[in-house]
Amino acid sequence: MRSLCFSWVLCFSTLTFISANAAPTGTATVAPNVVRVNITSQAYDFSRPWSKRAPASKRALGAVLQGQRVLVTAESVANATYIELESPDGEQKQPALVESVDYEANLALLRPESSEFLKGQSGLSLTTAHVGDTLSVWQLEANGNLLVSKGQMTTAEVTRYPIDDSAFLVYRISVSLQMRDTATALPIVKDGKLVGLMQRYESSSNLLDLIPAPVVEHFLKDALRKPYEGFPRMGLAFSGTRDPQLRRYLGLNGSKGGVLITQTLPNGPAALAGLQKGDVILEMDEHALDADGNYQDADYGRISLGHLVCTKHFEGDAVPVKFVRDGKVQRTEIKVARRHPEQFLCEPYVFDRAPRYFILGGFVLQELSRTYLREFGNDWIHKAPMELLNIDRTQSELENDPRQRIVFLSRVLPSDVTIGYEDLRHQVVRAINGKALNSLLDVPFALEQAKDGIHLLELEGDPHQVFLDAKAVQEVGPMLQRSYRLPTLSQLE
Amino acid sequence: MYFRSLLPLLFVALLPHANGADPSLVRKSLARISNTAQEPNYRQPWLSGFTGGGSGTGWVVSSERILTNAHVVSNARFLTLEKENDPKKYIAEVEFIAHDCDLAILKVKDTSFFKGTIPLNLGGIPEIETEVSVYGYPIGGDKLSVTRGVVSRIDFRPYAHSAIDSHLSIQIDAAINPGNSGGPVLQNGKVVGVAFQGFSGDVAQNVGYMIPTPVVRRFLKDIEDGNYDRYMDLSITTFNTLNPAMRKGLGLENNDCGVLVSSVAAAGVCNGYVKPGDVILSIDGLPIASDGTVELDADRIQMAEVAERKFRGDTIKLGILRNRTPQEVVVPLERAWPFTMQANQFDLQPTYVLFGGLLFQPLSRNLLSAIQFQNPRINYLFETFVPKEVYTEHPELIVLTSILPDPINTYLNEFREGIVEEINGTPIRTLKDAAQEFAKVADFYVVRFMGNGRMLVLERAAVEAASQRIRTRYGVLKDQALNENAR
Repeated sequence: MRSLCFSWVLCFSTLTFISANAAPTGTATVAPNVVRVNITSQAYDFSRPWSKRAPASKRALGAVLQGQRVLVTAESVANATYIELESPDGEQKQPALVESVDYEANLALLRPESSEFLKGQSGLSLTTAHVGDTLSVWQLEANGNLLVSKGQMTTAEVTRYPIDDSAFLVYRISVSLQMRDTATALPIVKDGKLVGLMQRYESSSNLLDLIPAPVVEHFLKDALRKPYEGFPRMGLAFSGTRDPQLRRYLGLNGSKGGVLITQTLPNGPAALAGLQKGDVILEMDEHALDADGNYQDADYGRISLGHLVCTKHFEGDAVPVKFVRDGKVQRTEIKVARRHPEQFLCEPYVFDRAPRYFILGGFVLQELSRTYLREFGNDWIHKAPMELLNIDRTQSELENDPRQRIVFLSRVLPSDVTIGYEDLRHQVVRAINGKALNSLLDVPFALEQAKDGIHLLELEGDPHQVFLDAKAVQEVGPMLQRSYRLPTLSQLE
Repeated sequence: MYFRSLLPLLFVALLPHANGADPSLVRKSLARISNTAQEPNYRQPWLSGFTGGGSGTGWVVSSERILTNAHVVSNARFLTLEKENDPKKYIAEVEFIAHDCDLAILKVKDTSFFKGTIPLNLGGIPEIETEVSVYGYPIGGDKLSVTRGVVSRIDFRPYAHSAIDSHLSIQIDAAINPGNSGGPVLQNGKVVGVAFQGFSGDVAQNVGYMIPTPVVRRFLKDIEDGNYDRYMDLSITTFNTLNPAMRKGLGLENNDCGVLVSSVAAAGVCNGYVKPGDVILSIDGLPIASDGTVELDADRIQMAEVAERKFRGDTIKLGILRNRTPQEVVVPLERAWPFTMQANQFDLQPTYVLFGGLLFQPLSRNLLSAIQFQNPRINYLFETFVPKEVYTEHPELIVLTSILPDPINTYLNEFREGIVEEINGTPIRTLKDAAQEFAKVADFYVVRFMGNGRMLVLERAAVEAASQRIRTRYGVLKDQALNENAR
């Protein structure tokens, strides 16, 4: 058994070596325009919102850009507590700060604390690539030499990025990589220019997804502006119109393409432009759309209009739209805008800040976010509490919900105030003392409205109402803080 | 046959050597039951289903009646009985079946079966730690088997057969195995229980359950009028009032009494009598403790047991506190738990509508166990059907379960597993509504599903041209089945 395994490993590594075309550029000098990035991150534990998880270390390879900045993926610096840049030969180290970060586009820009550190580095400029191009993936050997693996670009498409569900342009290359220790955020280069950063690599299929230059470029332009604005959207959902029966029903008999609007975000860019559910968009930004929502891009051929809107445009741009309503062709302009994570009922991600919580006599009240749901492990989509998952999953149907956030009772830290309530958990709290809760910030005020010394909590599920003794809640606070070792009883920022 | 954590066991009971009973007499009153069952095919509901079988144990409960578990004879197409030392196979029929308490009565066509049998007498609830003997025909051999053990505990427990019912149940440590189901458990020559379920060996050892005689007696009494009316159910949820602030907020005295009504099912018997927020203080005069128990037969037991013992047409008297004012309400018990879609159902042909190659079926536990859905909304609505009162707008949830591929539906794959909201503007509450909308003459049939996706469009002309083609290609016998021939 053992010998079998061994020979397989040998065999595998030989294969990898041959097919990788990995030709180390045996330069004696240290690789230019790349730095190692050593990151220590400490995420908040959303199931115990008063505490942080144990620190974890990560290594990334950053691309040095002009202006002495270092580009890495946002994923690698999420919840970072300490970031250190290290020269390829390991001789110099320098602390760095995150200057700009976009978790949707998965990009972050780092600045060394001292400008001396990157002095002498020319910095990489950006270039786009096309299907068929040969691209180089850069890694560093332990001695600081550059390890280059070459692969061919197979695809350019608009697809979901890992952190949020936002869709952006991705380049995909077929390349066989011998992974070194810095396995995240590798620079991809063509003719000495930066094409993008690796964000996914699948060793079984040898496919590498990278964040391409157009997205990086957009991010860098935004990073120069304060406040950071990011990638704008239209605030609508659409569906294709390939089905000939659907086209006849919509009265699209004469034409060929177009997409059907299935939803507009209330007060979102499309709605403000007068677009409605049921309209069929024929052209966007002077480009005709096919029945799947693709346009003809000069660089990439037919790709999704998402790229056109969010990467080719900036916050506030007016994008002309041609659409059909009731058989009549009309035109309007969408003033595109980003939807910030805080604008979602259930935030798609929370990084770099402590989650809010409020401990009420042992009831732990929190605000729902997808980060909380992800605490239920890799299979969170099945393991997280059904009721809370359903809110996240169907929040596009809750657009008219007046709440800013969903306040919920995550668990009970038992005390003599909570006798009988020990089993309550994962329950949405609608109101306290008759005051509707639009976020956790409403809790302190609602608690001032106690009647006859009793707080009344209205829950969405059974038993729908729960009472707590206002005075006992006050008195039990210090005891809870001591016995459960809580640094503070509330965290409302 | 059933592999949840709790599994009903098709098993046979042998006679006890037991205390006072003459084993040879008990043996004469036992039968091995062989069931040729047909399970409906939910994937192709126009087909007759899968034929399978199982065996269990039955015993003579009164002259010319055999008692066994409901799960032994569910979906039966052909039943035979065999007795010890009698080569003949006797053909039997189900006379009464109670899926909610897993009991059934069989009758035998050839009454010569009963020659030499004696009805076994029913006893009471055995004491904890006393010895009992289990008789039956479990796996491991053909002859009668007897195992012995003690009564381990008596508790309110889920009955796995229906998946939604809980009743009094007695745990014993005698070996109970598949095939024992339906067999009698004896003590001092009297039947004290009917063996019915246990855990699979990798979950727990020496844990078997029997249906105690109060449940058996209730079943026998219920069918006296020739009908089984099921267990009556208050169809409410309650919450403890242990917390002092809760007691104060609800205006309760400091006497550890009463439970808070959390919800009242709109289709249940208490609707109109009890409201969420009421506190139930007593049930039929018995004070309810703050943890929801009552003292009954010198034991503390859940208040539901009081309703358990009632029959259809009986009433139940609840002492309640509403807005701090004590009141008394008398609730007529007219209905059992109304939401049978959440239970395993038997002897039922699946209903469906096939239109343009699209198969629409109402959501039920049977459907869920036949098809693994990927759409989380389906499971969510199934689980929250009662607490979220989904049933008020959707007494049936109509799911597009599968598509028989054809040129007219080749662009419709994205709708698979969608739940129908409306057809041509008409809200769809039941499968019948869907069938009616599809039967109307229209140029287009526009189906909207829950969520924010697009509408599905089918043209009448295309559907008409395709329907015979689809029927022939896929061997569909009938385009729809709406009548539930439920027992």
